[in-house]
Amino acid sequence: MIVQATDIHKSFAGTPVLKGVTVGVELGEVVVLIGASGSGKSTLLRIIANLETADRGTLEVCGTNIVDGRTSTPFNGRVGMVFQQFNLFPHLTALRNVTLALTRVKKLRKAEAEEVAMAALSKVGLGERGKAYPRELSGGQQQRVAIARALAMEPEVILFDEATSALDPELVGEVTGVMRDLADQGMTMVIVTHEMGFARRASDRVLFMNDGKILEEGPPDQIFQRPQEERTRQFLHQVLDA
Amino acid sequence: MNWSSLLASHGLLLSGLVKTIYLSVLAIIASTVLGAFVGFLRAARVPGLSLILRLYVEFFRGSPLLVQLLFIYFGAAYIGLSGITTFIGALVGLTLYEGAIASEIFRAGVEAVPRAQREAAKVLGLGRWTTSVHVVLPQALKVILPGLIGQEISLVKDTSLAAVIGFPELVNQSQAVISNINQPMLVLLAAGVLYFIICYPMSIGARILEKRRAS
Amino acid sequence: MNPTSDTWAEVFAYMPQFLSGLRITVEVSVIAFICSLFLGIVGAAARRSKHLAARLAATVYVEAFRNTPLLLQVFIAYFGLPAIGLPISAFQAGTGALAVNAGAYLTEIIRGGIEAVPQGQYDATHVLALSRLDAFTHVVLPQAVRNVYPPIINQFIQILLGSSLLSAIALPELTGVSETVNSITLRTMQVFAVALVLYLVVSNAISLLASLVGRYAFRPPLETRADSGSFRRWTQAVTARIPSRGKLAEAGEGGGDS
Repeated sequence: MIVQATDIHKSFAGTPVLKGVTVGVELGEVVVLIGASGSGKSTLLRIIANLETADRGTLEVCGTNIVDGRTSTPFNGRVGMVFQQFNLFPHLTALRNVTLALTRVKKLRKAEAEEVAMAALSKVGLGERGKAYPRELSGGQQQRVAIARALAMEPEVILFDEATSALDPELVGEVTGVMRDLADQGMTMVIVTHEMGFARRASDRVLFMNDGKILEEGPPDQIFQRPQEERTRQFLHQVLDA
Repeated sequence: MNWSSLLASHGLLLSGLVKTIYLSVLAIIASTVLGAFVGFLRAARVPGLSLILRLYVEFFRGSPLLVQLLFIYFGAAYIGLSGITTFIGALVGLTLYEGAIASEIFRAGVEAVPRAQREAAKVLGLGRWTTSVHVVLPQALKVILPGLIGQEISLVKDTSLAAVIGFPELVNQSQAVISNINQPMLVLLAAGVLYFIICYPMSIGARILEKRRAS
Repeated sequence: MNPTSDTWAEVFAYMPQFLSGLRITVEVSVIAFICSLFLGIVGAAARRSKHLAARLAATVYVEAFRNTPLLLQVFIAYFGLPAIGLPISAFQAGTGALAVNAGAYLTEIIRGGIEAVPQGQYDATHVLALSRLDAFTHVVLPQAVRNVYPPIINQFIQILLGSSLLSAIALPELTGVSETVNSITLRTMQVFAVALVLYLVVSNAISLLASLVGRYAFRPPLETRADSGSFRRWTQAVTARIPSRGKLAEAGEGGGDS
């Protein structure tokens, strides 16, 4: 088990957001979280990434028990994350965005780091654009740089927090394409997304979250074609028939 | 620290405070009107005016208020203009200077309203005047108001410069009191407290407005 | 009354004095600016500190010096301090008051610049396992510096213009010299016109220079081009793209007493 979250509870300012969530993710699995806004999907992801601390429950990620919250960084990049807003470092080139953690955290020498970075950028189709600054790149390209940046750290699992929600529609495909490639290559991924088509095609397991709990989970075909719960049906109806 | 003599001089200090407030209020009104006028005109890009208005703004913002006051007050006497009291000199100088700064706030406020708003109004058939007054202005004011209050706080503090040309506002009167009772620290601190009492609430007000705008 | 070329010539004859006054103006301003930067950095750190005492002290400092006139602060330094046993020269008092005053504004400017770095940047450094020091040095600080550069340059110009107040404590900076030349030649308009022009030239030159330096030093260029004449516009453009615009706007605009 790469990720094992048990009975996670989390409240923000008195409002409960996660009300007892249990999730397990196996090596090589692609798990997709779907659900309405406010259902707690992003919060769960951020707790797994150790960006937030659960109020209650246990969490084991890559063999490490997460005890304390944000101040410790037990993962060293083994848990990668790709954000909705990309969060690239705007004052650094694409290449430097990728090499920064390689040199400062993994202590690679500059030449080595650049080699690894170039490989990662090539993998996402941006081998030529290393010298570009984020503002010179399209949204899709920026997000792909962000994926390369996470990849270069050789993570055991990559978390995607609505990675395509901030993109113009025509750019979504280039990012989901990269994500599919990663999935095909066996990367363990936990994905929060609104892209239902992608979720269906690329995932091993789909979890529908509602009101802070996992309401239903199962293989994509089952969830999308034969949802058991009424709320799941309602949600899919709204999202797919829009 | 001789508190009793300070209290005894409270008359002079208070009269200075009153003059400060009086000058401030008039200068605020005049400079706001001037600033709005110039700012809106610049935002509207009226041809032929933009250069001269820009020169006005850059001139007053790029040079010290004190020198402008000296120029206006002593210069007026120099060219034979009689009847220019320290009050008028200070008022004119403050109005021109603060007006230039205020105009930038007004201009920025108008320019902060997205062009799309005017386009939407145009498509709906609203005329230029209606658009400006009912669509652009209310949105511009939300941006303008906090900045303007900050500006007024600066203006109240800037009235202290009128002391240098002899207008008996608070700082000037403080100097008079000091020459009477020779307690510089006490008197100046007392004056400081009086300024603080006026300016600090305004700061808080501006901050509240800014927060409300952001939410 | 017609100002003839003779009257101007009379005034221009004092150009060496004007320039020496200008030199003192610049000297005072530079020293005060450097000191104020230290104060601003310390103040910003204090305002963001975990310790209530530090936060309180910094807040009192900022509010006290931003809600009282610079002229009063100059007088307190020059007339007040000696009276309570601290002898001080006009130069020291003037420079000190300018520095402490500007430091209060810079505290807010620097604090705003740091707080304007979006939370997402911190999140990214967290998942990349960058240490707190590395995150600050390589990610937060470079962005904060880009945020505060225009307002800080503006503050320097405010210091420069504010130094004119030091004429009131008999420091022979540019304004003081102008008053002296005026009392000698009595050509009031010409004398103060010269002073105004000198201030204008210097303040615009600094703006232009800083803008060029900024364009060169901060690559990639910020989303907006620095306008050579108008630092305020760059400031606003930079602050406009930052989510919590209020902080920088409040700190940067009205950034000083005249």
